[in-house]
Amino acid sequence: MTAAEVLKPPPAPAGAAWRGRYGLRLVWLHLRSRRVPSGILALAVCGALLHVALHWHWAFNSGPYAQQVPLIIEAGAATVIAVTAHSPFGETERSAGRWLPYLRLLAAIGMCGLAIALLQLGAAGQSLNEGIVVLARNVVGITGIGLLCSVVTGALLAWTLPMGYMLFCQYALLQSWTAPWTWPVRPPADRGAWICACAVAAAGLLLFTVRGPRSRLGDAS
Amino acid sequence: MSIMSTPRLAPTRPARSLLARSLQTPPRSARALRLEFKRNAVPYVLPLLAAVFYFNAVRTADGFPPVWTLRASTIPDQMLFEFTAFAGGLAAWAGSRDGRRKTVDLVAATPRPAWARQGIALAGSLGWLLLAYLAGVAVLYVQTALQATWGGPPLWPVFVGAAGVTAVAVIGFTCGVFFPGRFTAPLVAIGVLVLYQTGFREALGVTATSGTYALLSPATNPPGVDAGVYHHAAPDLSIVQVMFMGGIAVALVGVLGLAPELRQLASARSLGSPRAALARGDGWLLRAVAVILVGSGVAASSTAFALAGTAKPDAAGGWEIPALHSAAGDRSVPATQDCTSSSGFQICVHPAFGFYLDALAAALDPVAAEIAGLPGVPAGAREVASVSGGQDVQSGIAANPAVFEFTAEHVGTMFGQFLGNGQDPVGWREGFQQGLLDAFLTGRAPHAGPGPAPLGPAQQAVEDALLTAVRSRPLNPGATSAGLSAAAQRFAALPASARRAWLAALLAALRAGTITPAQIP
Repeated sequence: MTAAEVLKPPPAPAGAAWRGRYGLRLVWLHLRSRRVPSGILALAVCGALLHVALHWHWAFNSGPYAQQVPLIIEAGAATVIAVTAHSPFGETERSAGRWLPYLRLLAAIGMCGLAIALLQLGAAGQSLNEGIVVLARNVVGITGIGLLCSVVTGALLAWTLPMGYMLFCQYALLQSWTAPWTWPVRPPADRGAWICACAVAAAGLLLFTVRGPRSRLGDAS
Repeated sequence: MSIMSTPRLAPTRPARSLLARSLQTPPRSARALRLEFKRNAVPYVLPLLAAVFYFNAVRTADGFPPVWTLRASTIPDQMLFEFTAFAGGLAAWAGSRDGRRKTVDLVAATPRPAWARQGIALAGSLGWLLLAYLAGVAVLYVQTALQATWGGPPLWPVFVGAAGVTAVAVIGFTCGVFFPGRFTAPLVAIGVLVLYQTGFREALGVTATSGTYALLSPATNPPGVDAGVYHHAAPDLSIVQVMFMGGIAVALVGVLGLAPELRQLASARSLGSPRAALARGDGWLLRAVAVILVGSGVAASSTAFALAGTAKPDAAGGWEIPALHSAAGDRSVPATQDCTSSSGFQICVHPAFGFYLDALAAALDPVAAEIAGLPGVPAGAREVASVSGGQDVQSGIAANPAVFEFTAEHVGTMFGQFLGNGQDPVGWREGFQQGLLDAFLTGRAPHAGPGPAPLGPAQQAVEDALLTAVRSRPLNPGATSAGLSAAAQRFAALPASARRAWLAALLAALRAGTITPAQIP
């Protein structure tokens, strides 16, 4: 008996299938470690809350107050996405592979799209002030703020800055501000508001993808 | 030497040093609280909270005139809104700490009861939040004190806000203890904000006939400009709100004391044996106290809910609750009016609005000079309470002596005049001029009830002409018809003496509405 058979590497599976299977597993493990399934449930709760609020007329039908409750719930969905960014592994995960930034990007964009879809589902059949376009813009922009915040405070406390921005926008709504950086106040087709929301979202995604959320401050509290 | 003969001095030294040490070192709970204050997450968020407070509460309060009751209304309306989000979220964050870190079983083995540990964590968060809240109140009140000309700081809005912050923090903390997780904090923050907004919406539409339970919501419309100026602001509603929110907080603190038993009940193993879980021999005293707290809290909240249902509008425009109402509070507040009469036309306002006196004189003096000497012309103008017998008071000319009476809320067809003149000082001035001319040309007396009927065409033309004569523009958009405008222009083009002579001769007919624009010279 010789050691030749032991030294021989095991037969590798066919290239594309191997990569696909392990890639899917990697994605699934990444999403699970970020509690994405629970996050989706939380987004569904936000959608249901929006539905209930619109159905039972918790919000005003028109005027400056009409956007208040939808904005709160949209900010809630955005904070859920930001909180999902937290990794339980911290630094050790960063040295484990080169796919981490792509996985982060994929998870954030996917959650953002899902949030818009679930909120739209919640608003289906109801009269949502300013419609789906403003809803999507708010979710995208405020998610960007949350991701930016996660780089500074850690993802677990990344809900604070979006919450502060949303509270400020409540004031801007009542005062009829027109600055494009208060995009929740602006009409659906406002180009400046879209540019601001998308710029913040892009900056948040870029920083979050490259650097990842901070892993100390938020966890220490 | 036997053991019995050992000198007794030896053991006294450690005892004394132990006593000294215990006096020097703070008790364990104080040390734990100090640690909790140091490690709490609230200080990280304070700069953000301060920024939101500045934009939301301070700027809103700045938009109001420096009248104490009005400025203080920003505490439950604006401040509580922003504190609600962070109080709920951060308290949930602190409450979920053990659960998030999977250390519930680990700390359960410590000699301290879970309630004490949670109480310290809650006290840490709540302490920071209340400190921040009181600092915000101090900023608002100091700013108002520097600008106000009359009155003092009302305390009930502060108590309502503090009760609101406490209740929301305890709700958030309890959610964190029972549902620990990374999503608890943001979801609690969103939940309490939606609850707040829903209460606000209901409170806006509350009427005595539709049920008054929505008055439990601390957020509602700002009060009238002169609320608390002529009559004491009744504290009935504030008492009920504090009782309701305090009851919720107390009940939930009691629920926290029962948390281990409730967890045990919820676990699959002991499901179906609640009696066994509650009748455990250890810690029965704590459980009894917790049950008493739950009962007291529920009783307080239920009582407050029932009391809110009995609220009815009071004579001063607020709400009174018969079981809590004090008749002594219904007396009007004594005050000597601030007056000026630089051109012989005396203008008096409540000292709370003394800062408007010069601007009022500048607005009314030219019009008073234009109509001086005509029959029925008022000798002065006086501000009176805007609500009487629960109804809005409309401006008019009071008899004996003939004085133009207006309120902080209603001057002619304008309303909310005393809310401020910063945004449109010209429009503000012209509103008062038109109000005085409205009353003079119609001979209308001040009255409680709905707003005044519009002027007749001839009256409107004369008013427009007189406003033009004092270099103001007519505010009434109805005065755009060609005949009316032409009559106004004709009358304005007359010399002042001719206008005065025509008015002196035909004022009674003009007031009676028997003159048409075509008859105006």
